[in-house]
Formats: sequence, structure tokens, C-alpha cells
Amino acid sequence: MHFTPLLHSEWLKIRTLRSLVAALCAVLPATALFSALASTDSDGADFDPLFSVFFGVNLGQIAAIAFGTTAVAAEFRGGALHATLAAVPWRGRWFAAKAVAVAVPVLGMGLVTGGVSLVVGEAALGAEADGLTWSDEVRGVVGCAVYLTLMALLAAGLTAVLRSGVATLSVLIPFLLIVSFVVGDVSGTVADVLPDRAGQVVLHAEGAGLLGPWGGLAVTASWAGAALVAGAWSVRRRDA
Amino acid sequence: MTSIDVHDLTKDHGPRRAVDHLTFRVRPGRVTGFLGPNGAGKSTTMRLVLGLDHPTSGAATIGGRRYRELVEPLRHVGALLDARAAHGSRTGRDHLRVLAASNRIPGRRADEVLEETGLAPVAGRRVRTYSLGMRQRLGIAAALLGDPAVVLLDEPANGLDPEGIVWIRALLRRLAAEGRTVLVSSHLMNETASFADHLVVLGRGRLLADTPMREFIDTRVRPRVRVRTTDATALTTALARRGHEAVEHGEGHWTVEHARVDDIGRLLSAAGVPILELAAEEGTLEQAYLDLTGTEAEFTALMQEA
Repeated sequence: MHFTPLLHSEWLKIRTLRSLVAALCAVLPATALFSALASTDSDGADFDPLFSVFFGVNLGQIAAIAFGTTAVAAEFRGGALHATLAAVPWRGRWFAAKAVAVAVPVLGMGLVTGGVSLVVGEAALGAEADGLTWSDEVRGVVGCAVYLTLMALLAAGLTAVLRSGVATLSVLIPFLLIVSFVVGDVSGTVADVLPDRAGQVVLHAEGAGLLGPWGGLAVTASWAGAALVAGAWSVRRRDA
Repeated sequence: MTSIDVHDLTKDHGPRRAVDHLTFRVRPGRVTGFLGPNGAGKSTTMRLVLGLDHPTSGAATIGGRRYRELVEPLRHVGALLDARAAHGSRTGRDHLRVLAASNRIPGRRADEVLEETGLAPVAGRRVRTYSLGMRQRLGIAAALLGDPAVVLLDEPANGLDPEGIVWIRALLRRLAAEGRTVLVSSHLMNETASFADHLVVLGRGRLLADTPMREFIDTRVRPRVRVRTTDATALTTALARRGHEAVEHGEGHWTVEHARVDDIGRLLSAAGVPILELAAEEGTLEQAYLDLTGTEAEFTALMQEA
């Protein structure tokens, strides 16, 4: 069985569910709006012009996570997985197609979101943004897109393990909003390798901690990869 | 021709054995009714055939191949397992298009099966607005999508209105007449009797019977003859002379156990007994089934001897 029809089918699944399209579209306004708000406040000792411009990913990632979670969780409702796996018995390949169908739209939306946040954020910052170089800006936009994609994949993998969207969101959202927010300020500890802290290094002009911008994304990619592998293992091994 | 072959199939759910060394073959060109009480292992067996559950031991094949070896399986096997399979927020047509795309089935097939199952008028509506009967029809539409040679339907009559039940009966007959292999599970005896040619009966995960339906009934339920007469004395005397015993039910109604209507009719006519009514009472599937489950232990012993 070829991969393209599986991908086509998974892409159709996303396109034909309004809640998924809505979650995907919410990434842009959530990120851009909060980036603009954060950029109006340029005081404080730890002010970082690049992170101000991309501060909104903290909120936008919740939409990306909701998207990744919902896309996979839809398969675990009712007898949906029976119908899916009866049509596509190659579970590993099916799950790979699902992951690609989640990743590509988020990556695309992430690039647009990054671009819009940059424009909006820099406009809000005004002269404070002058210190940002072209390479900082490109790194921020690409980093924002990759980061959002990895968080969506992390959520997708976790959902396949937990077999429930509610369970996944009640693990990830409190984690991002509370745990990481609280311990995240303590630099140079284990907090540096939490998936969100590590991945957001790419959005800072000044690197903090041991991880560089791409090293940080690689750490987040490892988290997402681990979640996907665990998800694929669970899908393959367990009875549908 | 494509048969379903279940060979020494066993499935444990923890300590509970859902399917116990099951072996049977479902042949093409006829409707095979899959009977058994709830929890007998019918659905589990179907999931094992479709590769959705992993067997503890044994194997199930379709046309000699395991389900996961089929390329574009919907073109070979169509299945209805659960009417809740379709996402409530998707339209009926989109649900089918998604399935069709994965097996490179042209999109127009979605519209064809929607037409065939009578769902064309609601194809653009969200599945959550469907009644249970409509969801059931959508599940059947999905099973027919790839024009498969093998069709497995788990309790397809669930939630169907009387018109729908007549429709599914005709559909099953037609699929079998077209040479397809049709396996239909049910716990409704009268319903199964109306469409099945052959029966596979399970009890607590084990095979209790694998026989043509007519034979299944005839060997388990002795026929009876119902008679109404104005002269009870003449009737009982005539019957007793040939060793038949008649049981009275009042208002001149009598039944003769273990007798065929041809014999009793001739006998009573020769004796000049006035007859107002004479009818054969064929055994029903329900009677035969209850007889089987009543003597299940005995039957299992018999199977082991054989």
C-alpha cells in the first residue's frame, strides 16, 4: 500500500472537521495578539526584543496542541479506530501518515504566524526593535513554526498513548501553564530541557543556559519524537 | 472465490477466554448467520478476522491471506462493526470519502453507496444529526464502498425501522446471490432465520454448530401438526390406532407431536374424521437454538467424540 493515499485520507479527515480547522486557525491570532501585547511593555531587566515579538507562542502553542490532540483523539472515539484500521491495517504507516498530516499544516500556519507576529510585534516595540538583526528575525520566524509543529506532534504522540484527548490536554495544559511557568524561571536546571523551555530558546536574541537555539529545538524534537514512537508502539501493539 | 477461514483461533482477554479454539469456514454465495448470546465471542471473532485484535493463538484468513496482507483491503472485505465509527461532526459523505481515499477508491463510489443505502438525501448532513438507523445504514454503506467480495456485518439490523429491516434482508440475499461471502452476526433468531442459509453458532467462545440452517432446525425441532375438528373422539381414536398422541388445546384445537402433516392428513381422511383445519407447525430457529444451548454440554461431548 502506498503512502500517498494514506496521507490524502488523513488530510481529508483534518479538512472535514470544523473543530480541527478552527484550532489550526486559532494559532495565528492567539500568537500575534499576545506578541503585540507583550511588545508594548519593553521595561524590565530581562527584556529580550526577539522574545517579546514571539511571546505569543506561549498562547498559540495551546491552539497547536489542541489541534494535534484533537486530530488523534478523533480516532479513539466510538469505533472510529476500527473503521480506520480496517481500511489501513498497516498501523505504523497509518500513524506516520497521521503525524505528517498534523505536522505540515501546523508548520505552514506556524510560518505565517511567525511572520505576522514579527511584523505586529516590531510595530508595537517601535525603536526597541532596532537591535534585531535580519538573521535574528529569520531564526525567530522559522523557530516559531518548528516549535509549534513539535508541540503539536508531542500532543499527537501523547494522545495515541493515552487514547484520550481529555487526558492529554489535562496533562499538557497544566504542565505548560503551571509547572513550566513556575520552574521555567530557574535557569541552568532540569527546567532547561523541558520541551517548551528548550524549544523557546530559539525565540530569544540572547541565549540563556547551555542550549543554543537549534540545540534547544533538538531537545524539543526529542520529546516529540519520543512521544510519537511511544504512540506508534501503542497503536501497533494494542488491540484496536 | 473468497472464503473466510478461521483456524484454531483463541483470544484471551486477561483471564477470560473470549474465543476458544474456534475453527470454521464461511463460504461464498450464501448468507452465513453468526449466532450466539451476547458475550459468546461473535464480535471478538470478527475483530480478529479484520486484524483489529491480536489473537492469542491460531489464525484467521480471507481467501488464504491474513487481513493485513491484503492490499487496499476495502476492495476485498467490507465490514460493519460499530455504528458509532463515523465522527459526529463530519458529514456522511465526508466519512465515506475519507475511507475511500485511503484505499484509492474513486470518490463517486461514496455517492453510489449513499444512494444504495437510501442516505443520498442526508449525505451532506453531519452524522450527529443522524438517527441510529441512519448511522447503521452509513456503516453498511462504508462496508459496500469497495465493492468487496467478503462482507462482515455485526448486528446490522440494530436500530433499523421495519422498512430498514426488510431492506437489509433483501440486501443480504442479493449480496449472497452475487456470489459474495456474507457473514452476519445477530442475537435475534427470527431476524436471522429470515435471511441466513447457513449458521455458525457460538457459545462461550466455542463452536456449537456449523450447519445449513434448515438442517439445524430439522434435527433439533420435531415437526408438529395442528388439527381442528368437530369430533374429538373420532380424531383421538384414529390417531391412537397409528400410535400418535394428540394434545387438546380447547375449542376443538389439537396438536400432534412428532408428526408430519402429509401423514396425518391422509390418516384422518381415510378414517373419515371431519377436519376444519389442518396445518404443519415447522420448527423455528429460536426453538432449535434453545434446544442447542440447553444441551450444550452434551453437544460438546459429542463433538469431541467425532
